[in-house]
Amino acid sequence: MGKRKLGALEKVEADLPNLQQKIRRDPKSYVEDFRAQYYQYESHREIFMAAPSSSTEAGIISLRDLIDFISHVADCYPDITKEFPQQLIEMLTQHHTLLEPELREKIVGSLVLLRKKDIIDSVTYDTPAIVSICSLADLVLCGGSLLNTLFPILVSTPSKTLRELLFQKILSDLRASNAKATNHKLNRTMQTVLFNLVTSDRTSSKGLWAIKLTRELWKRQIWTDAKAVEIMKEASLADNEKVIVGGIRFFLGGDKEREEMEDESSDEDVIDVGRVKHQLGVNKKSGKKLRQVEKAVATVKKRERRKKQPHILNFSALHLLHDSQGFAENLFSKHLQNTKSKLNLEQRLLVLQLVSRLVGLHKLTLMHLYSYFQKFLTPRQPSVTSFLASLAQATHNLVPPDVLEPLVQKIANEFVSEAAAAEVASAGLNAIREICARQPLAMNETLLQDLVLYRKSKDKGVMMAARSLLALYREVGPEMLKPRDRGKEAAMSLQSGEKKEIRFGEEAPGEIKGLELLEKWKEEERRKKRREKGLPSDAEDEDEDEDEEAGWANWEVEEDDSDDSGGWIDVESDAEIEISDSDDDEPPSKKAKKETENEENENDDNQANGVEKEGETEEKSVSKLATTRILTPADLAKLAELRSQAKVTSLLPGSKSKRVQQAAQAHANRHIDDPLTAEEIEGFAALSKGKMTREEKIAHAKENKTDRSEFKSKAARKKQRKEEQGKSLTNREKARKKNVLMTLGKAKKKGKRSLVETRRVLKLHHERQKRGGRLGNRG
Amino acid sequence: MGSSKRKKKEKQKDFQKPKLKVGKPKPKPSNYTDTSFRSKAIVVNQQSLSVSAPSADSQFSHHLSLLSSKSETQRRESLAHLTTSVASRPVDSPLPQPVSMILPTVVPLLLDGSNGVRTQLLKFLRTLPESEIEDHAPQLLPYIRAGMTHLAADIRVSAVEALSWLVELAGSEVVSCAGGWIKTLNCFLSLLGWHTEESAKWSSNRSSFGKAGSEGKPMVKALHTLAEFLRAGIGKEEDDDEEMEDIDEQNGESSIFPLDQTVMQNMIPSKSGPYAYLNLFGQPRDAEGEMYETREDRYRVFSEKFRIPIERGVENARKEGGDVGRASAAVAKVLREATSAS
Repeated sequence: MGKRKLGALEKVEADLPNLQQKIRRDPKSYVEDFRAQYYQYESHREIFMAAPSSSTEAGIISLRDLIDFISHVADCYPDITKEFPQQLIEMLTQHHTLLEPELREKIVGSLVLLRKKDIIDSVTYDTPAIVSICSLADLVLCGGSLLNTLFPILVSTPSKTLRELLFQKILSDLRASNAKATNHKLNRTMQTVLFNLVTSDRTSSKGLWAIKLTRELWKRQIWTDAKAVEIMKEASLADNEKVIVGGIRFFLGGDKEREEMEDESSDEDVIDVGRVKHQLGVNKKSGKKLRQVEKAVATVKKRERRKKQPHILNFSALHLLHDSQGFAENLFSKHLQNTKSKLNLEQRLLVLQLVSRLVGLHKLTLMHLYSYFQKFLTPRQPSVTSFLASLAQATHNLVPPDVLEPLVQKIANEFVSEAAAAEVASAGLNAIREICARQPLAMNETLLQDLVLYRKSKDKGVMMAARSLLALYREVGPEMLKPRDRGKEAAMSLQSGEKKEIRFGEEAPGEIKGLELLEKWKEEERRKKRREKGLPSDAEDEDEDEDEEAGWANWEVEEDDSDDSGGWIDVESDAEIEISDSDDDEPPSKKAKKETENEENENDDNQANGVEKEGETEEKSVSKLATTRILTPADLAKLAELRSQAKVTSLLPGSKSKRVQQAAQAHANRHIDDPLTAEEIEGFAALSKGKMTREEKIAHAKENKTDRSEFKSKAARKKQRKEEQGKSLTNREKARKKNVLMTLGKAKKKGKRSLVETRRVLKLHHERQKRGGRLGNRG
Repeated sequence: MGSSKRKKKEKQKDFQKPKLKVGKPKPKPSNYTDTSFRSKAIVVNQQSLSVSAPSADSQFSHHLSLLSSKSETQRRESLAHLTTSVASRPVDSPLPQPVSMILPTVVPLLLDGSNGVRTQLLKFLRTLPESEIEDHAPQLLPYIRAGMTHLAADIRVSAVEALSWLVELAGSEVVSCAGGWIKTLNCFLSLLGWHTEESAKWSSNRSSFGKAGSEGKPMVKALHTLAEFLRAGIGKEEDDDEEMEDIDEQNGESSIFPLDQTVMQNMIPSKSGPYAYLNLFGQPRDAEGEMYETREDRYRVFSEKFRIPIERGVENARKEGGDVGRASAAVAKVLREATSAS
């Protein structure tokens, strides 16, 4: 019998990976081998448990390898490895401070692996274990589950690397269990744990982990509910500075982060399926390539499906707060008013920003807040622009003007004077404008007229700021300006009595934006039709009925679900005809006056839209439109179209001066949730800085010239494109770049060729060209 | 032609004598290597400047520390040095270092990858004073068990050898220490492949995975050791020994006649860790890790768990015949004695 040839792997003395692979294929035959390795593991564990701090490197196989091996095949032998997870958990919880980093990492990884194989759970629900573990004083071990084990260690371990690892593992476990469907039970348990962690010991910095986890999950839209916000709320009311700042920053930036994350995930690199498939046809075919194509197709399909899914509307954290008034009051009294609070200026500013945002957004009443600002409003106060921004942010139309008036007065006195620097003055004017935009009544006539005079200032920043203040009051309160400052439109509207004095606490009734446009359009359409038929354009007709039908039918086409929608269409359209009939001949009622007021508040919109003022009757019918009939999907589509059209026309150069346009645009782009920042207050200050140096000018010019590929030659652009696609040179390019010495031999011989030879070569060349090169296109 | 001329010149160059000129430095040969180097400072890490040779003790501890060296020759030679220094010390003089210090560094070498190191280790262990090994049996056993289930066959064999040595020296300690009985028997079963009925068949490929050992007849050795182990655990002679000891003790007691039984109980115990069975400070033990101190206990556990697979295994081994069959006869004999004794 000849000597058997040994495979490379068999030569190795102790090859656990090889055994692992064999076990995976055929668990039953290798049970004895596995059992032996399990005993091996147990003896190693025994050795380790006797002296946990000593090295576990014994011979060729270490405990680490064994743990790795067993956890990989544990699912094949559930009865032998019954105790294994529990043993790992014990090892980790009891000795995590002493373990060598590598072994520790391996144990954590193995636990995660066991979780993936569903051998252990994420969290044990029936015991209040994890909650009590988080009291941190004693690490009670109960339940064999991943998060129950990892979380307490995360909070208590002194090792930074372990913390990082654990955090990442916990996060990925939470993500994985929420991947297919939201795991409400797990989320609730985890949120309770985090909540307790934050509230149990307010002075410790352990709450930071709750914040990190919550923020991360919020960012990934896994947690979007009020409970998560509640955790953050408690965190921002903690006693530890780090925890407070973490909580506050979440409220100030968490939603933006979430949006950015969403944008990022939506514009991932685009896969061109056609190209991938083409490449498969061109290149050598292999299983790997085929799999790549399949994967590409699957991802593209998945993305399309995701795109088609309805957009999930998530509320921002500030809107999910319960009792925002109480929260704002607590924040203010605990961190700002309290003289014992240890926060530094920067942290205080963050708190102030949050409080003022809450006040502005929810229109809260927090009277102490405004007097608190009083002492900070001097130009010498560090980061005063942030204070100014916060003050403006905290202003809304329900703040009593007499509270704000002294503040505005103080800003005017401290900032806006000939003696003050230009930047200071422009910042002050900006702040005043922002305050007055939110509460116009905070300004008195004399002060306004004084401030408006700064529009004659030589400094550009100050001049612009003063002008914008003027523009604001032309819209909201022209009667406070001097007659010659009012401008044409405002003066005319004052004369015609359209402009009414603003009164404190007045709220405009809500309405659908652009509805009057729709109404007008409908009217015109009806007239057009009647004119075509040769009927008097004002009379009533039945063909509106048809329109309606068409409108609803349109919806069916769009939505593609015609199952049960047919049933209720008929019923609704019947009811509508009657109402719409009564609509138009209803005489103008006494409500008209109120409607006008309503219009006034809206009229900046209207002006911007460049829409003519309509008669009173029509205005009334506008407001009635939404209440009396159900808008068909076709109507809504038209409405959206008209709205965007109006926006475009308002931006056309003819309709308004450029400055007003810009202001309108800025105003339109602004969302109510967006914060007011110090940069906006500083705004024009950059203009008053003086001339730029040459270097600055060059840098500024270069800033705008990022990519000038459109000015490149066609060939250069093509070359660039080829390079981007990872393509190599063409044959011509290669020939051009070929080394001269390599071509010399051929050139030498070429002259001495006989005629027959030349013919042969030419023929060959011609054939080759036809075929498409040496390799050829076909066959 | 031109090129050949050039080549000729180049060939000639090698044989030309370099011209030496007065006042000029000697030209360097063509294979000269510049060995000079520049350094900001030259640091001599450690320098042993002692005139006298290091003492035997310090050498001993030095070699002890070298046992964890990366190179296997170094480990083996250090072990050899330790062996000679222990063996050649004057009679009745104490070891350079106590056994409790030596063992923790030495024992992990049971799982060492190299054959030479392990055989040398066995030699070293044999030189250690027998009386002191007894107390350290519980410390040795986990390593031996780990070796018995190791993937590499050679390590398994040497672990079995180590176990037979240990059983010979301190049989009663081995079988009665925590985990010594059940766990070790389990290891035997998996070593011999006797756990389940199908794996115990002679036709099945036992210890199928891993490299086959270069030293032959691992099965025979394992069977011999199993027989010894079983004899130590549940054999009849062992009982006799205990009885003899009891008698001895009684004799001793009678020799110090005026003291009665109660005094004896309060005297310093003769073995280390007399209350280990209470397990006051350790982890709670499960059935496998429990101590089985009396023969009755061990026999009960044995007949509950191991009797059937071992008898089946012995039966199959007997059928196999040859060396293995003969070795299995020893085990069978122990089994018979044990059943008859109880």
